[in-house]
Amino acid sequence: MHEYEIEILKLLKGQKSATPSRLEEQLKLGKDSVVWALENLAKSNAVSITRKSTYGIEISKEGKSYLKQFPEESLVKALGNGSMPLEKIMDKIGLIWAKKNGWIEITGKEAKLLKEGALIADGKKEYATRKLINDLGSAKSDALEKLLLSNKEAVQLLSNRNLIKLKERGEITDVSINKSGLTLLEQETGKGIGQLTREIIKSRKWQTDGLRGYDVNAPTEPEYAARLHPMHEILDKIRNIWISMGFMEVTGPVIESAFWDFDALFVPQDHPAREMQDTYFLSNPKTIDIEDLELLGKMREAHEKGWQNEWRDTISKQALLRTHTTATTMRQLRKFALESSGYEPIKLFSVGKVFRNESIDYKHLAELYQSDGIVIGDGLTLAHLMGILKNYYGALGMDVHMKPAYYPFVEPGLDVYYHDERLGKTIELCGSGIIRKEITNAMGTNKTVLAWGAGAERIGLNLMNVDSLTALYNNNMGWLRNRKEL
Amino acid sequence: MAAITFKYADLKGFGLDADILLKELPRLGIDVDDSTDEDITVDISPNRPDLLDFTGFVRAILNFIGKREPKENAYKINKDPLIEIRTTPAVKEARPFIAGIVAKNVNLTGNNLLYFINFTEKLCDTYGRKRKKFAIGLHNLDVISSPLVYDAARDKEFIPLGMNKKMRFEEIIAKHAKGIEYAYTLKDSKSSKYPYLVDAKNNIMSMIPIINSEFTRVTEQTKNLFVDITGISKTGMDQACRLLACSLIDMGAEVYPCIVSYAAKKETTPILDYKDVKVKITEIQRTLGVPVDQDRMIELANRLGHVAAKYGNSLLVRVAPYRVDVLNEQDVIEDIAIAYGYDRIDPLPVLGAFQGTPDDAVEYANKLGRTMVGLGFTEAMNTYLTNEKVNFENMMRPEDADSTVKVSYSKTENMTMLRTNILHELLQNMSESRSERMPLRLFEIGSVFSVKGGKAIEGRSMAFVSEHSRANFSEIKALTESALKHMRIDSYTVEDAHDSAFIEGRCAAVKVKGRVIGHFGELHPKVLESFGLEEPTVAAELEL
Repeated sequence: MHEYEIEILKLLKGQKSATPSRLEEQLKLGKDSVVWALENLAKSNAVSITRKSTYGIEISKEGKSYLKQFPEESLVKALGNGSMPLEKIMDKIGLIWAKKNGWIEITGKEAKLLKEGALIADGKKEYATRKLINDLGSAKSDALEKLLLSNKEAVQLLSNRNLIKLKERGEITDVSINKSGLTLLEQETGKGIGQLTREIIKSRKWQTDGLRGYDVNAPTEPEYAARLHPMHEILDKIRNIWISMGFMEVTGPVIESAFWDFDALFVPQDHPAREMQDTYFLSNPKTIDIEDLELLGKMREAHEKGWQNEWRDTISKQALLRTHTTATTMRQLRKFALESSGYEPIKLFSVGKVFRNESIDYKHLAELYQSDGIVIGDGLTLAHLMGILKNYYGALGMDVHMKPAYYPFVEPGLDVYYHDERLGKTIELCGSGIIRKEITNAMGTNKTVLAWGAGAERIGLNLMNVDSLTALYNNNMGWLRNRKEL
Repeated sequence: MAAITFKYADLKGFGLDADILLKELPRLGIDVDDSTDEDITVDISPNRPDLLDFTGFVRAILNFIGKREPKENAYKINKDPLIEIRTTPAVKEARPFIAGIVAKNVNLTGNNLLYFINFTEKLCDTYGRKRKKFAIGLHNLDVISSPLVYDAARDKEFIPLGMNKKMRFEEIIAKHAKGIEYAYTLKDSKSSKYPYLVDAKNNIMSMIPIINSEFTRVTEQTKNLFVDITGISKTGMDQACRLLACSLIDMGAEVYPCIVSYAAKKETTPILDYKDVKVKITEIQRTLGVPVDQDRMIELANRLGHVAAKYGNSLLVRVAPYRVDVLNEQDVIEDIAIAYGYDRIDPLPVLGAFQGTPDDAVEYANKLGRTMVGLGFTEAMNTYLTNEKVNFENMMRPEDADSTVKVSYSKTENMTMLRTNILHELLQNMSESRSERMPLRLFEIGSVFSVKGGKAIEGRSMAFVSEHSRANFSEIKALTESALKHMRIDSYTVEDAHDSAFIEGRCAAVKVKGRVIGHFGELHPKVLESFGLEEPTVAAELEL
């Protein structure tokens, strides 16, 4: 028995009952410690505890994102006035709930909109589930308790869907010692020494009084180790593989000009990927000056010749959050072209954040980590590029394959993919290729440049064995404390 | 990427079934989105718009599996122009360019018309940048009379396709679904007039690039087609002409040119010329990394639809007019690599001149991070994007908009700026962890952002925070001093400081060489309340 527990029993023996705050005062202990000791005593049936229940509720991240649009609502809106073949409906969650709600019926291989669903789709009727979540979120103590009682089933469903987290807390209001508590105290204080102290050791009192044995099966509170974030560990794993393969790490700014993020990669100035819909452009600062005017001129020439598009320096100067770390490796390529030391091949990699203007859900994040690399030298071929990527993914325990792919800045281009047993499908891991001569020439080198860019998240999902990107970036203390070891 | 669906029943007519397609398509670099009993949906990458058409798709697969031999000069058009299009000064300001194609005896029965319409729509969506760069209209040739006039007017009326009564231009822009969708294409126009195409008998054929007229409606029974291509980019229009004309030829039609007259000059469209690309044998071998001989290369080039011949130490490759993606020899080499088969290339190792090395700054942060873990802090990794409410308001700190990095448009409403401090995000993490056992100790090392003199500055910062019933100033002072020691900062001073996030008199600044590098102290109860924290909380944030 812990010393706090014994002290509490001693105090309780002399009074009929006590409140936890009174015990805190008398023992000069914190609330956490007293409550912890009382809970332990209650478990071993040494004290009787009176509690008052308080309810709490927390709307999960998913719940919050659903408040804007539930998947079942998106579905009925997508149905318009009619029906849709089931195979066209990607979001099965929406399908299940729309059916449960009686918004659609499933006939044969088609989902058909029903009257109730049409009312929801047209916004003529409010979705009861949304109202309930909103009400739960804003209700306080007593009101919340009533609400929970009157909507028991619906609340249970919400909790099953992980849209809300129910919390029932039993706060201790009163405590008193009982018979077995008195017996325990007798035993504890009666024979032998419990907690060893400096005095007992020095005075060798233990030789005369003896040392009491403990119940080794008595439950203990968990101890949590502080740890690095799992994504940090994953990024370090990735970095260490590149370093072990002889690559040098480089870093670069996340705030970039459109020139380094797009133009330098031969992405046409009117390419759809450059639209506001997909890229975070900045309003402050709005522009970034391109200091390398020579390169700007050469790139402009390459674009005008290759794409026959109108080129505007104002587009190049747009400030944005980089969409890939290739912007960083391209800066390094230019650096190499200007100050080559003559040692080759040069092998560089970079791991960093990239940004996508996305509506966030379990599949899409606005910020992701990417790992990029380039090799600069002579005599480099598609076979070498494949060798590097096979080697890298092999080190991560993944058996990968290659197939042709298109990116405006490489020729030939290739994608690395693997078959995920757990998900039962093929997943793309990495886009790569040999950098186009239009780019290397403009940069001022006649070397061959192999390049690739790979998201770090897929590796993370695999290593952590989770399916949701939001779970990967969870900063909830409970999750960080209890997550599995990599 | 653009997804397009074809029926297996139609593909079977060319000897293509699911087994062949699912095996060969990935090797050709075409992703299969979905395959059911009836149809297959493929993702076409933006460099191969020719594959968006059923005819072009079949052509590419048959070439690739060796069931079709590409022929030299297969894509020829007749000499005599059948349609003349006159342009007016009025339309020059609104949407300057037009091109035309005439196709006779085209077979649009079965799904042919559907595939061809899908093709034009996908082209307009992707290459045509949603009809802004160029747009395509299909008409029944038999009902129109040459010469046509490409003009612009403020208001006219005609019966739009699929309607049963006349509508005025203004009405179409305001009410018709296509008018609403595509009005934006004319937004930047210098003219207030709407472009339209009218035939010799004064029948309006199309309000461009919005909607065609009912009277030129094309059906599965239509035999003879007129295609208009209008836009602001001649390059884009030329490519669209090539793609459409080649597909029509492969569908068995006879294609005729059109004459387009502008104020100062006349043009003939479409132009179907071949591009001759010379590629050195050694260059091909140097790119692939495998030994392939010249004869084999010719065969491989054929597989991707090219006609190749020996030319000294090079290949002379004739690139068909529909391969608008081929800029130069690099693109041909890629085709040869694809035909050779990526899965048949044996990977080679790359040896290096140097040993691998980590970045110093990253290593420094890693080491410091491990120290913080040793002090009992768990690491958080938050987003750089945040919002003014939590970054400033909840921290009771004044916002200085000029020195804050802001994004101009965000799909996520709580991501409007880049964080100026890490601390507020740790406090958010704490508030999500309220049910956890105290003490809660979190830290993060990462970037923070500001703008100085119009330039964005990315700084590195470390924040750490500790919440529990007895958290106090001494704790955070001891922790900060320990962190500073591990950061190898030995000479610093601690001074009284004011930071509205902290309790007045319980906040200190850390100064190194006369410069403040950070603050620590007890967080103000109002800040705790804003973040929903119920226990005393102490925190520090230091520049790295």
